[in-house]
Amino acid sequence: MKTTVSDELKMLEEMAGDFAAKELLEDREENDKYPFGPLFEGVLTKAHDVGFFSIMLPEEMGGAADAVNAVCLVLDEVCRADASLGGIIFTNARAQEMVARAGEVEVLKKIAANAAGYAGLLIAFPSFNNPGEIENVAMVERSKDKYILSGDIEYVVLGGIADSALLPAKVKGEEGYSLFLVNLKGDGLDIGEPVLSLGLHSCPAVDMSLSDVEGKLVGQEGKGGDYFEAAVDRLSVAAAAMAAGVIKGSFVEALDYTKERVQGGREIVNWSEVRMLLSSMAVKGKVADILVDRASRSVDCGEPGWQLDSRAAALHVQEMAADATTDGIQLLGGNGYMKDYGQEKRFRDAKQIQALMGLTPMRKLKYIKRIVDGELPW
Amino acid sequence: MFDRILQSTLMEKDPKFEDIMCSLLSVGKMPRGLIKEAEEGMALGRRFNEAVVRPYSLELDRKMQEDPTYLPWDLVEEINRWGFYTGWIPKLFGGKGWSFSAMSPFIEEVASECLGIANLLGVQYFGLSFLFVSWNTRLIDMICREVIEGERTGKPCLISGAITEPDAGTDVEEVELLSKARVKCYAEKVKGGYVVNGNKIFISNGHLSTWHMLIAYDDLERPEESMIMLAVKNGIKGFSFGRMEKKMGQKGCPASELVFEDCFIPDEYVCISRDDVKDVRRGIKEANMQLIDFVVSMTRPGVGAMGTGVARGAYREALEFAQETEVEGKLLINHEWAQCMLAEMYKNVALARLSYMECGYVNALHGMTKMMNVKPVYYYNKYLPTSVFDKFMPASNKRESTTKLFRKLIMDGQTEEEACRASGWASLSKFAATDFGIRNCHLAIELMGQAGIRHDHRVEKFLRDSKLLQIYEGTNQLNRLNLFKCLIGPSIPEAEVFND
Repeated sequence: MKTTVSDELKMLEEMAGDFAAKELLEDREENDKYPFGPLFEGVLTKAHDVGFFSIMLPEEMGGAADAVNAVCLVLDEVCRADASLGGIIFTNARAQEMVARAGEVEVLKKIAANAAGYAGLLIAFPSFNNPGEIENVAMVERSKDKYILSGDIEYVVLGGIADSALLPAKVKGEEGYSLFLVNLKGDGLDIGEPVLSLGLHSCPAVDMSLSDVEGKLVGQEGKGGDYFEAAVDRLSVAAAAMAAGVIKGSFVEALDYTKERVQGGREIVNWSEVRMLLSSMAVKGKVADILVDRASRSVDCGEPGWQLDSRAAALHVQEMAADATTDGIQLLGGNGYMKDYGQEKRFRDAKQIQALMGLTPMRKLKYIKRIVDGELPW
Repeated sequence: MFDRILQSTLMEKDPKFEDIMCSLLSVGKMPRGLIKEAEEGMALGRRFNEAVVRPYSLELDRKMQEDPTYLPWDLVEEINRWGFYTGWIPKLFGGKGWSFSAMSPFIEEVASECLGIANLLGVQYFGLSFLFVSWNTRLIDMICREVIEGERTGKPCLISGAITEPDAGTDVEEVELLSKARVKCYAEKVKGGYVVNGNKIFISNGHLSTWHMLIAYDDLERPEESMIMLAVKNGIKGFSFGRMEKKMGQKGCPASELVFEDCFIPDEYVCISRDDVKDVRRGIKEANMQLIDFVVSMTRPGVGAMGTGVARGAYREALEFAQETEVEGKLLINHEWAQCMLAEMYKNVALARLSYMECGYVNALHGMTKMMNVKPVYYYNKYLPTSVFDKFMPASNKRESTTKLFRKLIMDGQTEEEACRASGWASLSKFAATDFGIRNCHLAIELMGQAGIRHDHRVEKFLRDSKLLQIYEGTNQLNRLNLFKCLIGPSIPEAEVFND
């Protein structure tokens, strides 16, 4: 893809592309039936084997050095075929990143060392909510040196798959929230059925109730919001990469179809209004491509203002994906609306991807607040 | 006000008063009873929603995701009990004769809760509108009375309209495209009838319907001049159901494949053929376009009403969420940006509704409902009981002269300008209101975040359901072209449409 990408990352990108072609494309429709069909456990095992769930970990644990650029390349390739796996990679990377931002790399090492399969390595997290906006947290009580969590948390992504979860909880009456690692195999947890959702069906979420569940504090008390926002800074661009992949996948399927489909005695690709739609999609794909590449390198190099690069990329590409995928359906007409083609899933997935990390309007307000408060806009 | 001659010179310029002021023009002509009926239609929709739609729509959608082959017969029987499959059949043909002006507001109400269920009952009138535009009063009378009997006996009799083919979607909506289309549904003329071969796809309510209004062609080389409409009943030899589509949304309403293999349809089930069209003023191709336009001028505003409904449903759920959810310690409803988003959504609903209401006025002035809205006809239809009509109409409907009279009145009675106005406005409402509908679903999901993507909060289903509105009844792209053709092109001599 990009000449600026190192040889090492090129290999990773090719590997991810091969993986998507071999493991994801053919069974896309079947895998998307979850929770009314089986979970694609075989895919998860293979994704684990090739290291998709450890990219954000330190190098000695199989992670990548330029971690964010690497995770973006993988997410782009994977999401062209099936964004559900992208959602899993992203959620897990988000949770790992927050643990790392909290200064608890040792905890990650321990998890990685003990993990036998993907379930052991994956960390569940409510990745569509910002607890600082809409409170979706458990209550915590300190008893001696232990933290005991109780209460309901909605929409914990991977909660039905992973062995552990990173959950927000707060002490009654206190301001901020803290993050806790919770063993999902332990007692006191009532884990619900997978929540039927718009998109990313194979990246399932569950509602859960905790009653007197011990949690391990991650970082410092009351600092959960800081770790959350720090991870949003770093990984917003990864959500943009997911959206970019979905746009590209949608464009390719639309282009192929319009070359074949004939109406009014000519291939519809030769209708100029069809070309307008295609062009609009192609431009969105191109802009997304440039934006994600540039912003992810900015993040990894720590360029001045990298946080805003990352967040702007997410806000813009996520919105473009919601627009592009609706045209992606439109170009296939009635067929685009049917599950036999990939377009309807991409449309659903794109809108779900836009909901990552909290309310979109609040993310926009947060973005401009930083500039109003003095950060440079470009 | 000023010189009459100067005024008429000024008013010859575009836009023409008659093109853009149909609501104003119909004020005086409109029977006042229509106002009450529209209000009753809304109330009826709300009652149906409370009793049936709201409690069941999510469960049905979930059930269909689990088993895409499930057919919602229970719901069809419920709708049948409520009388919605016969309500808008005119009393001339034994129905309840509800006003068409009440239909769109009613559809908007149901659509505000579930587009799938709105389609499940609305498609009945899509199928019937095909039958009606043929003005074959014998068949209209016969089939409508079967629908009414089906209501009486609790065995629903539904009507589908079968026009789309695997290789012809946009093409079948427009005769200019039809002339180059790869249509394959062939009706070969044989002694005593036609032998049909070919497939129809995406037929809403197909598997649930008893009768299918089939559009076929008796010359595949010249489909624009050889269109034929046949009434096909379940059980006839050579006709079967194919697959049921796995749709993204509107799951409550099946989209079916209809398969015809050497299917013999006797002459008595021909609704209209090229022989009948010979008698009307227009040429065959133009008459076929008029038939298509009569149908879509009625059904596209119906889709507009569905777009309005889903726009409203998304707005309603977002408003409710904003009223009960705190964001950063303050109710969402009190964040200025959220208030502006909700105002935007409210505006989208209001403009969508205005667009389909305007189409109602256009149709009442120039289209299919013109005759029904003439005051004496309207009040006879409203106040005479169906039993009185039943005494003399069935015999009259059977006569060929009645069919000929209706065709003369309705088809020849409509000018080109009137046909264009009705078709152009129908397209405008269709793509405007459905674009607004989808827009509001997007906005609602953005406002609701994590709650917005969950099935149990409804708006994700609204988004999936609404997308189909931009595709069926002509894609929104085809409808833009049709607007150009009907409302912009006629006054521009150089303009050519469908000839890029």
